[in-house]
Amino acid sequence: MEKSYELNFEAPSFLKRIKGMLSVDFYRIFHTPLFYIFLCIAAIIPAMILGTMGAEGGEALYTNAWNIIAANKPLYVIESIGDYANMNMVFIFGGIMVSIFIGSDYRSGYVKQLFTTHAKKQDYMISKTITCAFSMACMCITYLLGGIAGALFAGNLSFEVDVFSLACAIIGKMIMSIGWAALYTFINVILRKFFGISIALSFFFGTGILIIGVAGIFEAIGIPSVLLNAFLYGSSVFACLDCGIFPLLSVLICLAVSVAWAMIYIVLGTTILSKSDVY
Amino acid sequence: MNAIEIRNLSKSFRGMYAVDHLNMTVPLGSIYGFIGENGSGKSTTQKLICGHLVKDEGEIKLFGKDYTDPGVRARVGALIESAGCFPNSSVYQNLRMQALNLNLADPDKEINRVLDIVRMTDSANIKFKSCSLGMKQRIGIAMALLGDPLLLILDEPINGLDTDGMRIMREILIDITLKYGCTVLISSHLLGELEKIATHYGIIRGGKMIAEISAKDMEKRARVFVSLKTKNLNGACEVLKQKFGNVRIEGEFIRVYDVESSEDIVKHLLENGHVVSQIEKNKVGLEEYYIELMSKKEEK
Repeated sequence: MEKSYELNFEAPSFLKRIKGMLSVDFYRIFHTPLFYIFLCIAAIIPAMILGTMGAEGGEALYTNAWNIIAANKPLYVIESIGDYANMNMVFIFGGIMVSIFIGSDYRSGYVKQLFTTHAKKQDYMISKTITCAFSMACMCITYLLGGIAGALFAGNLSFEVDVFSLACAIIGKMIMSIGWAALYTFINVILRKFFGISIALSFFFGTGILIIGVAGIFEAIGIPSVLLNAFLYGSSVFACLDCGIFPLLSVLICLAVSVAWAMIYIVLGTTILSKSDVY
Repeated sequence: MNAIEIRNLSKSFRGMYAVDHLNMTVPLGSIYGFIGENGSGKSTTQKLICGHLVKDEGEIKLFGKDYTDPGVRARVGALIESAGCFPNSSVYQNLRMQALNLNLADPDKEINRVLDIVRMTDSANIKFKSCSLGMKQRIGIAMALLGDPLLLILDEPINGLDTDGMRIMREILIDITLKYGCTVLISSHLLGELEKIATHYGIIRGGKMIAEISAKDMEKRARVFVSLKTKNLNGACEVLKQKFGNVRIEGEFIRVYDVESSEDIVKHLLENGHVVSQIEKNKVGLEEYYIELMSKKEEK
């Protein structure tokens, strides 16, 4: 007797595909220790800076507790560790987390399962970007809590601040997570065969050394540093306590830059993934 | 309609063809045994069908549609090299993730169903890294079975398994085809095992398909032979050739083809002073067919 088969090939919509992939990524985030470890790291770092590096050559690293979150001014060129050590550091640990997260997709062979079914390369890029951006945004929050705890522990810091500016700076930095996550996803996708290099490169970009160097050159030849806001690190620095414009505008700048770079990296990553083997 | 239709498919690595203008037809509802030596292009072909590798040229159609069609891909499951599971997550968690990716309406019900098919209902909470090779292979099949696939692509799923593991795997694959109407493309070196389940065979060499044959046609061309052992193989062979014609030496045995009764052979040998120490009746199967095909190609 001939068997009858139900040959039903309903193509899942983009939204359905993305929903599926996001569900997997968020399930992984919440069901593995990686996310929680990095949340703790993000909280411990500012607490440690304020607790153990409270003084530099006899002088306090900060006078205002909120400088552990954001600098007073957009400091593209840094002169001391105090200028550098703020919430932007989350994007350094975030890069390492993204490398481990995406690296395990490839090492376990999970991507093979993914791309055998209906998942498309663009879905992968978008889903990883959203999940990792969410993780980094959460790390910003634990960084904030760790910073407050550290400042309270230090005991000699001022908490005086314009709350609206501080909120805009924090939101601006959290928004920057989207662009950073897309950059790290892109790096890890193109360097999927070289886990060590992808971690090192993520770390390198996360530190902002490239933009800090360019800022030095800009300053030397008299080009306005504000142009650096077009880059991820530039905008991340621009989200500060006194950016020189209405604080909400800085949030909008962060949003525009972050989303624009995210789109660029997603398109580039999708193109490269589509034209190359999964392995 | 065929489950898989491949025309002129090629894939090269650094200028060397791994798959060389390959043609392949996998009928709907079949268990297609994909056979070839190491490096013959079996895995590369399967990876191309799964979309893991980008083809250089050629056409791949699944159920009459382009293989990249998301609707078709949603009904494809695969176990290529490894199960693709996270080692520190449990069997259930790994299956749950795949179920989420496929947007299954009732993930728990579906996970229980596939665990039942692969006989692993009691092992759902074990971490994947703690599973044995046989269990990992079965989990890989369970992963591939989620979402009610119409096509399963399995790369060497029985290699490395013990006898019991192979038997379980065999039962699972037959179940999948008969109960769920799934087409299975399975590659393996274990021809004897494939012969027990496959309905069709494809033999690949140097990236080219050198033969495609159904198990029914294989049965039709199957020849009976008597395999025997004597002290003087060459002498006995000459004696048998005079009466039975189609006789040849294979290792330590003489094979006498197309004979009805082995008694005639023993009698004839005794009459000519040869004592038979061992004798058995056999059939030319997949392994012999494969060896014959390979030696023909080598001669060419």
